[in-house]
Amino acid sequence: MALNGATIDRLVLAYAAALAKPSKADLIALHVVEIDWTLPLDASVAGLSEEAQRVLDVAEAHAERLGLHVEPLLLKARDVGAAIVDEAAAQEADVLVLGLPYRTRFGGDFVIGTTVPYVFKNAPCTVWVVREPMPQEGA
Amino acid sequence: MFVIVVGGGKVGYYLTKELIEAGHEVVLLEKTRARAVQISDEIGSVVLARDGSEGSALAEAGANRADIVTAVTGDDEDNLVICQMAKHHFSVKRTIARVNNPKNESLFRHLGVDEIISPTRTILGAIEQDIPVHELLHLADLGGGDLELIEAHLTDESPAIGRTSADLAMPEGCTLFAYIRDGKAQSVRAETQFRGGDKVIVIGRRDCEDALRGTLIGEDEDTSSL
Repeated sequence: MALNGATIDRLVLAYAAALAKPSKADLIALHVVEIDWTLPLDASVAGLSEEAQRVLDVAEAHAERLGLHVEPLLLKARDVGAAIVDEAAAQEADVLVLGLPYRTRFGGDFVIGTTVPYVFKNAPCTVWVVREPMPQEGA
Repeated sequence: MFVIVVGGGKVGYYLTKELIEAGHEVVLLEKTRARAVQISDEIGSVVLARDGSEGSALAEAGANRADIVTAVTGDDEDNLVICQMAKHHFSVKRTIARVNNPKNESLFRHLGVDEIISPTRTILGAIEQDIPVHELLHLADLGGGDLELIEAHLTDESPAIGRTSADLAMPEGCTLFAYIRDGKAQSVRAETQFRGGDKVIVIGRRDCEDALRGTLIGEDEDTSSL
């Protein structure tokens, strides 16, 4: 499962756990830190790494409450989508679960972003996308 | 080595691919989104769909830490602007530009582009080598372009015929280097006497071409620049 540190991570984890628990499948929690081209890929980005570690710690703690063990995995990459796909291929994953926040641009059109379409197009395995519920009117 | 390639045409595409295979870190800037996506699908997430002739795009591509910026778009003006920005705004150590119109080469050189690649001139050179013409042929640039390697085809009417290299008053900045007779290359010595059909290889300054033509080919030849 790919986590991005947003509130949707809880849902991703819940669905991934529901999927993994009956078959006792291995669960990997992947978080990708995107490094822009102004820095080398191996550059030390202290603030980002700490935040990334926090995302994985939260996921691990939440999984523990659900009675599951997750293997945390932190990657640095130029592109989140490509990193998720490459890792899924490397791990020979059966299912990839990722979240999609419900976002709209000015004018109200839904924004799907670039990561989900990339993963849909390129992931070698089954892909589950958990979309966040629409916010309540006036919320 | 970190290389920024600007222009995702055939040259940029294959250049990027080869550099990645050689183990270099590469980012390619291609302004046409559809083409950028196509290349990205083929060679991975090393493509930014941005116009490399804009400073913000070069900044986003990491020009601040690039070892080389190479501009290979099909537009000479863009290539010049890209190299100028890379050199003077981002202090990139080495800039390489593709020049499509050979007439722009001197401008690129004058404005400090480190390496100039002219496919047009290269093809012209190849054609001229295959077709016997009584002309001076540009073979290669040396030392960043200040010096060039030139081949002179001597005919029976050439003023150099029957004279030794020591007798020839070579223009300032030109040196006789070798000659090819009956398909065999030989060093030029002081006593070497030239014959019709010889191809004489000279190292000379670019601005000496006309004087060199007068010495080796004769004044009757077309003196238009190569």
